[in-house]
Amino acid sequence: MSGAGVRRVLAAASALALAAVLAACGSSSGSGSGSTLIFADVAPFSGVDAALGPIYLVSCTGTTQAINKAGGILGHKVACKPVDTRGEPADAVPAVGSLLSTTPNLALVIGCTSDEAASVVPVLNQHKTVMFCMTGQSEFDHVKFPYFYRLVPPDLAESYAMTVIAKDLGYQRIALAFGNDIGSQTFVQPAVAAIAKAGLKLVANETLDEHATTFRTEAAKIVAAHPDAIMTEALGNADPTLFAEIKQLNGGHMIPIVGTSALISPAFYAAAAKAIGAATFSKIFHADNLVTATSGPAYNAFTSALLAVKNSHLPGEQTGNFSTYFSAPGAVHLYDGMTLAALAMVAAHSTDVAKWKPWIVSIGDGVPGAVVVNSFAQGVAELRAGKKIRYVGPGGPTVFDAFHDSPGIFQIDTYSATGTVVVAGNISAAQLRSVIP
Amino acid sequence: VSLLVESVGFGLITAAVLSIAAVGFTLQFAVTNVLNLAFAAVMTGGAFITYAVNQAGGSVWLGVLAAMAAGAAISVLLNYLVYAPFQARGAAPITLVIVSLGMALIIEFGIGAWTGGIGVSYTMSQGSTVRLGGLVLTTVQLLIMAISVVVMASVHGLLRYTKLGKAMRATAANRMLARNCGIRASRVIGLTWALTGALSGLAGTVFAIDVGTFTSTSTDIFLILILAAVFLGGPGNAYGAMLGGVVIGVATEVSAAYLQADYKYVIAFVILLAMLAVRPSGLLGARA
Repeated sequence: MSGAGVRRVLAAASALALAAVLAACGSSSGSGSGSTLIFADVAPFSGVDAALGPIYLVSCTGTTQAINKAGGILGHKVACKPVDTRGEPADAVPAVGSLLSTTPNLALVIGCTSDEAASVVPVLNQHKTVMFCMTGQSEFDHVKFPYFYRLVPPDLAESYAMTVIAKDLGYQRIALAFGNDIGSQTFVQPAVAAIAKAGLKLVANETLDEHATTFRTEAAKIVAAHPDAIMTEALGNADPTLFAEIKQLNGGHMIPIVGTSALISPAFYAAAAKAIGAATFSKIFHADNLVTATSGPAYNAFTSALLAVKNSHLPGEQTGNFSTYFSAPGAVHLYDGMTLAALAMVAAHSTDVAKWKPWIVSIGDGVPGAVVVNSFAQGVAELRAGKKIRYVGPGGPTVFDAFHDSPGIFQIDTYSATGTVVVAGNISAAQLRSVIP
Repeated sequence: VSLLVESVGFGLITAAVLSIAAVGFTLQFAVTNVLNLAFAAVMTGGAFITYAVNQAGGSVWLGVLAAMAAGAAISVLLNYLVYAPFQARGAAPITLVIVSLGMALIIEFGIGAWTGGIGVSYTMSQGSTVRLGGLVLTTVQLLIMAISVVVMASVHGLLRYTKLGKAMRATAANRMLARNCGIRASRVIGLTWALTGALSGLAGTVFAIDVGTFTSTSTDIFLILILAAVFLGGPGNAYGAMLGGVVIGVATEVSAAYLQADYKYVIAFVILLAMLAVRPSGLLGARA
């Protein structure tokens, strides 16, 4: 059995044991008056995906400060707690176990990326903890976890979106270069199928060991295949290192890149720009991303919340262009998830999860006669006025299905030479359907 | 054929870095009797010292000197404060291995806490691209190979032609007998920690130059390659470590060219296991 296989078995065994213990212990049923509610950021803060947790923490800290500034939730202040999963299922389960046993006022979990979702979602669900997860794994499309919510699309939809971008830009010969972690590998098979459906040619398919320090031979194979573009997601140092080596081996010319939405982050931009030069990177890079607001009241409330925590020296906070957070999926959609959860508690007049959970969908999707609100403060004011509300945040309106998935629609993002995210276009539903195998 | 030539060239760059580290590691093990798994963490420390110098406006090459000094100091302190007290109390070799593993984690996480766990790069030019046959190398990569050759030659000169080198070989072969012959073994051991620590700092910096972007945990997988090179060549044998570094470096890159690339480190260990099955003492035999 491989190391990853052993880790998966250990994680599954640990998860089962932990779930059994937690089932015996029961679940949270509301917090004492005036106590601080905790939003836990369960995500990698170390390991190859270490960039993810800090993005969510910036969003969490900004959101909770905005909630506190508006009076908190039913008299409770809200605070964030980072929980490092190291991006490994076997590390994530004990980390979540520790979180659950030491955090009596745990109100919400955010994060839960594809690295650890499969192992921690059942545990959190068993504990009746509402979670807004950033996983794209397709198993959550059809397995029901009542406490699981997702505002991002399944990974295969991102693979289709990347294929549409490549086709739209006129690229015919495609190379794939995805990391060997769970989250990145889920893109590969849908991408292979979509490339074939779109009539494009797959000329190379390299799997990058994200713990490796160089990818020279992989880069040489890609260059030798003469692709028009490379579709990729290999987080940590892997992609920037690969880009630098491709540029070196390709006579100083960089091959165009089509990335996933995970590559929209300050840390990734900084590393990639350093590797091949900001001007070059900004010219050759495109990524799919969910459509998010770039102006308007929801966007203004969101950016104000995040800007309030700029230079707060949060754990793992990344240097680079801070405005990149305004387009980072983890920052936008988790902000929406946290705001939705907070408004649900206020609407339910309770922090008892059994009472407020049903309000998530009704406030997100709206009910007849609901007033649209774009921030926590605005929502609380309308609720106090006795009105029904529908929250529409910077990530746009939600449409939850039976599995609590609310996949949005895609846009095409690029970076400017200073690292600001620029929207280059949109992907229509028809375009997406045209490449679905 | 072109891919084969390219991958051999890439393997030689990896081998250049690996050999410097493997020689330092194996010399340290041979003379001090400590299989120091914190070696790669000290390398990381050296890489970040150079980064600090570079960020302060100094050149990377100036940083190399600082990294070597820091590597030597950290290694001497590690021995003085941690390993030597354990050895004095009769700790078994496997105990020291576990202690060194703990030190590796402490150093790595300490660096991570200092740097924030974010990937960093040196501000330096990679130089112009040079084409040699089917190889495409930068001048910096050629320089790394040159540094490695100089280090290998220097280690050879040290071990063969200097009093310290001979004393190191004698202490490695039989510490008690060396003492009886008038060699001040404890002093030799202290100097060995300093010397191999300096090699560790140097290896860390050339590693960081080679990979471009690095973090506090970047050398984790590299430690595995160091161990493979050392045991392939014959543990404790400096020349074996040089040879092991070349074999492992080239094998990983060539295998990546023809097999699934993310299995390249697995291939290195298949070679190691096959070699040890045929020749358990490694390519160049028993400890020097």
